[in-house]
Amino acid sequence: MVAVELAPAEIQVLQVLTILVLSPLVSGWIAHLEARLQGRRGPRILQPYYDLAKLFRKETLIPEDAGWVFVAGPMVAFTCYLIVPLLIPVLTTFPLPLFRTGDILGGGFILALAGFSVALAAAETGGPYAQLGSSRAMTFGALIEPSILFVTFTVALVTTTDLPYFEAAAARSSLSQAIRPAHLLIAVAFFLVVLNDTGRIPVESHASTLEFGMIDEARTLEHSGPLFALLKWGSAMKQMILYVLLINVFVAPWGLAGSTASGSVLLAILALVGKAFGVGAVFAVIDNSFSKLRLFKITEFMAAAFLLAILAVLVLYVGGG
Amino acid sequence: MAAVVLAPSSFSDGTEAIALVVLLTEFAMMRASLSRSQVRLYSFQSLAVSALAVFVAATQHVGDLYVLAGLSFVLKVVVVPRIVLRLLRDSRVDLATSHRLGVATMVLLAIVVAAFGFFVVGGLPVHSPSLPAPALGLAGAVILVSFLLVILRSDVVSQAVGFFSLENGVSLASLVLAAGLPLIVEVAFLFDLLVAVVVFGVLIRVHHGRSQTLSTDALDRLRG
Repeated sequence: MVAVELAPAEIQVLQVLTILVLSPLVSGWIAHLEARLQGRRGPRILQPYYDLAKLFRKETLIPEDAGWVFVAGPMVAFTCYLIVPLLIPVLTTFPLPLFRTGDILGGGFILALAGFSVALAAAETGGPYAQLGSSRAMTFGALIEPSILFVTFTVALVTTTDLPYFEAAAARSSLSQAIRPAHLLIAVAFFLVVLNDTGRIPVESHASTLEFGMIDEARTLEHSGPLFALLKWGSAMKQMILYVLLINVFVAPWGLAGSTASGSVLLAILALVGKAFGVGAVFAVIDNSFSKLRLFKITEFMAAAFLLAILAVLVLYVGGG
Repeated sequence: MAAVVLAPSSFSDGTEAIALVVLLTEFAMMRASLSRSQVRLYSFQSLAVSALAVFVAATQHVGDLYVLAGLSFVLKVVVVPRIVLRLLRDSRVDLATSHRLGVATMVLLAIVVAAFGFFVVGGLPVHSPSLPAPALGLAGAVILVSFLLVILRSDVVSQAVGFFSLENGVSLASLVLAAGLPLIVEVAFLFDLLVAVVVFGVLIRVHHGRSQTLSTDALDRLRG
């Protein structure tokens, strides 16, 4: 392979492109694996790409009473998902030029803005299920927030910053850092947060068509055509972003590019796909082995995530943890 | 790179990780909706405590502790859970929907109590370079949370399991605080536990025989 040195800015753009291009692949893989685990043949792994291509060719129907928010919502959300990969360690161990523009909380705010604009677009339609979805998504989003905050606190206590790059570097620095109780606790807590935020069982069944159990999925019911494609693609990107955070910051921050050589960056992309497939497999197995919680029991799930995150802060606070 | 707060040494690291597992199982017991799974969790928790005894014995070179670990393994991981499970099988009551509060509320309350125990024990003027302070705090939290388990769940099995796991919390604290605590004292703890098992066994039997339920709300029906 010809060793070409990439500029840091190019790698940063590449991070966004990686998320943009590969996120439907990860979704397709999970759907495929889930079907396999249930004894079905299931869709092709590339099916999400075909779905998106089809949706982009369809016409857009806008509900009578909906205004510009209905159209703008999906676009704003999609843009948000394009911004977040600039801030997190997708491919490299070393920080890239724009990494100081936002910390974990900053990234969280951008993701929250995306969720907010989708919810707003759904509420704009006046459709009962879309509104139900957006109100539920906002409610549960608020309830999972304390866990995310305490995960951030833990990162801050460990690294004295709240930049995701440094937590990953801390975990990489030695084995005892990677398996210290506080780190393990926030890894599991963040795993639960990802389960919630990607709309997976036990919080929400992903492939269900039953509106009463829906949270995130119900928000997109009124959209069609390219706008719906943006929403679908956006939710795949959000899922990939959360997986990347889970993998490259908490669970397995290894296998990232340590230099700007094109070969190592390419390897990092391949490793990322492999790791994301691995995480996706875990999620598919969980999807198949647990049942969905009743809506009002979801708070129990969130209490568990909160418990883990707060214990991490406590053990750190009292003595090193 | 930013300064990184270093992880603790391997001894306190290990004790702390195990103590954390013990605390988490305590929380799991509180949430568990099946009496059976509560007992299994207790068995798992005892396994963690026995493992800690072995770990402390190996790292601090205290031979007595191997005996203690063996004893507590046989009693708390095998015998006691078996007896309780058997009693449960005889009484044919599976689901203990005995939460006095919602599960989420209970967990939040337990977090507050655990944090209280954590900081109170952490504030004690017990300092020694070999003492893993967080593990001691965790033991305090385990004890308080098991109290809460007894208070907030209104069935006999929860009360029994809560009491047994209280003993686990105490032996956790003693292992962390004074590894060389004479064997005889620790064996006395275990004997205490056996007495408790007998008492709770009788309670479960009699209570279920009289009122066909394991709920403590029906305890007043036991009047002769």
